[in-house]
Amino acid sequence: MASLGWRWRRCCAWRAASGTPGLGALRGSPDGRGWPVPARPAAGFQCQMPNFNLVRCLLSFPNKHSISRFHHTTRAVGCYSKTQSGEKYTDPFKLGRRDLTDLYEDIKKELLVSTTELKEMCEYYFDGRGKAFRPIVVVLMARACNVHHNNCRDMQASQRSIALIAEMIHTASLVHDDIIDDASSRRGKHTVNQIWGEKKAVLAGDFILSAASVALARIGNTTIVSVLTQVIEDLVRGEFLQLGSKENENERFAHYIEKTFKKTASLLANSCKAVSILGCPDPVVHEIAYQYGKNIGIAFQLIDDVLDFTSCTDQLGKPTAADLKLGLATGPVLFACQQFPEMNAMIMRRFNLPGDVERAQQYVLQSDGVQQTTYLAQQYCHKAIREISKLRPSPERDALIQLTEIVLTREK
Amino acid sequence: MRLQELLRRSGAPSALWRTLLRPSPTSRRGLFSGSPTHWNQVVSEAEKIVGYPTSFMSLRCLLSDELSNIAMQVRKLVGTRHPLLNTARPGLFIGYCASFPHSPLVYGGGILLLLGRGALPFHRNSSSLLVTKDDDFLLLCFSQRSLAEITELIHTAFLVHRGIVNLSELNSSDGPLKDMRFGNKIAILSGDFLLASACTGLAQLQNTKVVELVSSALIDLVQGIYCENSTSAEENCITDDIGISTWKEQIFLSHSALLAKSCQAAMELAKHDTEVQDMAFQYGKHMSMSHKINSDLQPFIRGKCNGSIAFNLNSAPVVLHQEFLGRETWIKQIREAQEKGTLNYSKLQEAILAGKGVTSAIDLCRYHGNKALEALECFPPSEARSALENIVYAVTRFP
Repeated sequence: MASLGWRWRRCCAWRAASGTPGLGALRGSPDGRGWPVPARPAAGFQCQMPNFNLVRCLLSFPNKHSISRFHHTTRAVGCYSKTQSGEKYTDPFKLGRRDLTDLYEDIKKELLVSTTELKEMCEYYFDGRGKAFRPIVVVLMARACNVHHNNCRDMQASQRSIALIAEMIHTASLVHDDIIDDASSRRGKHTVNQIWGEKKAVLAGDFILSAASVALARIGNTTIVSVLTQVIEDLVRGEFLQLGSKENENERFAHYIEKTFKKTASLLANSCKAVSILGCPDPVVHEIAYQYGKNIGIAFQLIDDVLDFTSCTDQLGKPTAADLKLGLATGPVLFACQQFPEMNAMIMRRFNLPGDVERAQQYVLQSDGVQQTTYLAQQYCHKAIREISKLRPSPERDALIQLTEIVLTREK
Repeated sequence: MRLQELLRRSGAPSALWRTLLRPSPTSRRGLFSGSPTHWNQVVSEAEKIVGYPTSFMSLRCLLSDELSNIAMQVRKLVGTRHPLLNTARPGLFIGYCASFPHSPLVYGGGILLLLGRGALPFHRNSSSLLVTKDDDFLLLCFSQRSLAEITELIHTAFLVHRGIVNLSELNSSDGPLKDMRFGNKIAILSGDFLLASACTGLAQLQNTKVVELVSSALIDLVQGIYCENSTSAEENCITDDIGISTWKEQIFLSHSALLAKSCQAAMELAKHDTEVQDMAFQYGKHMSMSHKINSDLQPFIRGKCNGSIAFNLNSAPVVLHQEFLGRETWIKQIREAQEKGTLNYSKLQEAILAGKGVTSAIDLCRYHGNKALEALECFPPSEARSALENIVYAVTRFP
């Protein structure tokens, strides 16, 4: 068991510097605080795939019928916010948006382009239709850290810039991802590559990234530059991880979580870390911010992968089962594969035979893959809550706690 | 501490570099066929001064998992018609760089190092000694070397990104759509990988001014390539009505900005004042401008005997020719050279050779060469400075 634990830990040790590796994030509630620990699954279930079942043991998967996506969250929040002044939670999005009123206008100011068409392409996704999830997390984290440090109620201009930069890096990666995946719609409209062609779209992505890089350099802090550069590197490495698939099922799961961290969570983790560095000199706080961002980021993507199976195109703004069509086996598929080993062959051939996508979809819906992925996401959210609760109370801190619930219950 | 890290990163002994990156003798001749020996001489002198072969993609990047992954994926493209294959030789992505090693842009790295060397003695002898300890001196050499690598990574990343094709414009002769889609995917990924490596290298330089300069060069480069793409998109021969000044602006963005700003950044790393930084910028700008015009001129200088060369209608001699003729006469000339929808380049070339376009392009090339030499005057005479001067002489020499 110990060696298995070590192996798992190795798989999850994404960054040497990131302190506690993934194991902690997966291990339910070691200190018994907070949420109810669900019943273990039937014993015979656990023997065949050591690592995979290790995950299962650690997670103590509950009976699928007992899962509701949010049954626990409110309790966890209640538990940690006892010290609160009794202030009613405001909508985290509302709270965050106060600092982001001109978010998209300000981003457009960073995108100084002479060519009108290039400008139009670069501004295409900054139309205010996105959720702006990342900038909101970033500004809330900035304020939470400032309060924690010296009860400061202001946010620095540089911290707000990080929010802009995070959204720009995210958008640049979307533009390139859409070309790589040959996607035709996003956020309910055509993709850049669909309208202007791949040749120009790739330049638009490069442009947004360069503009983000200039904005980052203007903050004038070399540590911040390094922290956010890590994101760019992780995004590319994540994309490479997505190219390959692992034959071994245990490795496959670790591979999936690693890819999820790099492609989605690294941006949140490192931009949270960046604003915490700007707001507070204490490395402990930087680690809290990083861990919060990492855990909520992974949970966010896990739910995204669930929605790919459960949501309909109208809600999501992009076609469903998109991942399967791209040959990608996400969380729900990997869990379903435990119940239906015949899916293994499909995963290995990347669902490229006619009918594979539909059959895999059926298997996933018949299995408890969706519930188990959701449950895993809950565990990451718990870890995020545990981390952020170490900060001094503030409306922003509580909004960040509440945000984990929104991540779990969102429908698009 | 930082010095050790840099030493570790810089890794490979230069002999390994030579074997990895040396092109075959034949490919060396590519760009400067007019005077290959002369150019090679200039380059090898430069290599002696800086002590490295002058083209280097960072080894950590070359030997990374991602790159071997790319190499494996590129191999799958063999047999398709994706343009990435023209830039990345199957199985040997590295060879890509090696195949144009001495275009001054790829050569940019070497120029930065020379500038670094050229500026150093001057700096050390000046009254305000900023770099005093040997450690600092080494650190500076390594960061300038690192900057040189970054410049090459960026340049290569964009060459790769330029190779992306528009899927909707393909026709049956391009082969299966699936292959082209896959080629695009690999081109984006490998370009992004090179860019990400460049960003990481930049962050390690620990100087936000340098990050800002190089990132702004990236912005310029994107805009320049964008303009270039939209002008060359007009396959059927009607060029944009641009004068030579607009042309120069565009070429600055797509060809000179990266080198100019990197040269400036190399001076910033050495803590030189803005005046020296500006001279380095001017050298990079004018030298690369003069190189671009030189290569634009090649088909008109050596191609007389050889009938079937296509040349870029957006090149310096053509743009100047059009400016002398006036738009209408020029379009008339193009129409006359058109035969059944295709352009007869040798006929058009004769028309251009008869005009003043070529001679004034040569003048323009020399003008920028002189500007580059003027910029060098602020540096004290040294081996490195003469090597930089020789580079200018090589690009401004015409038979």
